[in-house]
Amino acid sequence: MYRIWYYFREAFASIWRNLSLTLAAIFTVAISLALVGSSLLVREGAERATAQFQEGVEFIVFMNADATGEQDGAIRDVLENSPAIEDYAYVNQEQAYEEFSTLFSDKPDLVNSVSPAVMPPSYRIVPTDPSAANVTELARQFANQPGVKEVATATEAIRQIDDFSTRVSQALLIAAVVLVVVSALLILNTVFTAIGARRQEIEVMKLVGATNWFIRIPFMLEGTIHGLIGAALAIPALFVVDNKVLAFFQESDAVPLFRGFAVPDGFVWDTSIWLLLIGGAVGMIGSAIAVTRYLDV
Amino acid sequence: MIRLENVTKVYKGDVTALRGVNLEIQRGEFVFLVGQSGSGKSTFIRLLNREEVADSGKILLAGKDLGSLRSWSVPALRRNIGCIFQDYKLLEKKTVQENVAFALEVIGQPRPVIRKNVPAILDLVGLTQKADRFPDELSGGEQQRVSIARAFANRPTVMLADEPTGNLDPATSVGIMKLLDLINRRGTTVVMATHDRSIVNSMQRRVIELDRGVVVRDDSHGIYDEPNGVYE
Repeated sequence: MYRIWYYFREAFASIWRNLSLTLAAIFTVAISLALVGSSLLVREGAERATAQFQEGVEFIVFMNADATGEQDGAIRDVLENSPAIEDYAYVNQEQAYEEFSTLFSDKPDLVNSVSPAVMPPSYRIVPTDPSAANVTELARQFANQPGVKEVATATEAIRQIDDFSTRVSQALLIAAVVLVVVSALLILNTVFTAIGARRQEIEVMKLVGATNWFIRIPFMLEGTIHGLIGAALAIPALFVVDNKVLAFFQESDAVPLFRGFAVPDGFVWDTSIWLLLIGGAVGMIGSAIAVTRYLDV
Repeated sequence: MIRLENVTKVYKGDVTALRGVNLEIQRGEFVFLVGQSGSGKSTFIRLLNREEVADSGKILLAGKDLGSLRSWSVPALRRNIGCIFQDYKLLEKKTVQENVAFALEVIGQPRPVIRKNVPAILDLVGLTQKADRFPDELSGGEQQRVSIARAFANRPTVMLADEPTGNLDPATSVGIMKLLDLINRRGTTVVMATHDRSIVNSMQRRVIELDRGVVVRDDSHGIYDEPNGVYE
């Protein structure tokens, strides 16, 4: 028990002695882990956004919320009779609202800001021939009908989202990996400096018979603390990404499917735990390298 | 207690520090190692403390064969050996009692033991009044006393001293020697490398003389110079 107190006391004393380097290491960890987390969020968001396209649904015709019964009937007529249409499902405003509420169950503000009356009713359509060319042609025909707000095709929408999310999350991930390596090196350097500041003490410790692990542990603890504090700082950033950036897509009209671009808070918390684990591991590895290379015990 | 069998140590660049050294030191002995600079005295001390490993031959200390000792069992060996040096090696940012307590703390002694032992040891070396001073507020002799207190804190069975009076004036040196003698009388084997002629001559203890890595003299009640005056 006393020993654990000793390890922590030494680790924090060293952090305090070396504050500027420590802060550099911690902020680098924070930034790199925030990027890792954002990359995971974007990927998860993309997966959820494309979830409506299941069971063969290749395209969705969104009607204007104020489309007349006549306009609606015309569309339905085509869907019922055209040999090009295998099957379809109508999602009315109430159902659309319900789906929306479920999707954004953890964002009551967003749900409260809409009502069933503003939700566009839609037809989810399974074509007979699901080839991209055919779907594109069908979508074009429906888009020109009166009362249709827009048509989202699975191919187009999913390609857009995939493209977008793959590119964004890959870019984030590459930047993150580079920064994770940089932060490990910074932690290594910080711990190296800490070892240098305590050379005399280490010499005496070896002389009087302190065990190697007794000498090593405070330094490794120091590095691990860097990693954990950095990760802890990255977690709020993750919630900002979730609330601001992903919400921007949800509220944008540019690409209709991005409205499904949401991740539940539970996923953000899970990601946070991963960040803590990664942060701790990076700190421990960085300091372990410093300790084995420079401590000579 | 300590036995060397045909011990040879060669440093990089073919500098032979010790060559075929054989000797035995009994428990409770007080031994002076003498010889010119470069004769191998410090290497001898460093081998016993296992800061160096012999290139050939065998060193036994307290029943342990230092050559085959695993690195993780070196700390256990060192807890049994106290070391003092010419330059004291005190921690400048710790007080006298903190320096002594540190040695016990880092080998995992419980705090009650430390609280009980530190004052007793400071009393032994005569520094009770200066327990809260920092090393740079002390004289050289006092600093060496702190270093002896630290080395003796864990009650080692062997005390190794490498020129402990090298930086001290004769009067202060006598005080340090009295202290080492006291520690020796309490049962600790003392091995001391020194250049100090008057100390060796006044103590009349065993003298081992090294010359270019070879034992050239081993007198059980020796003096610094060889009786016939050959050595200088």
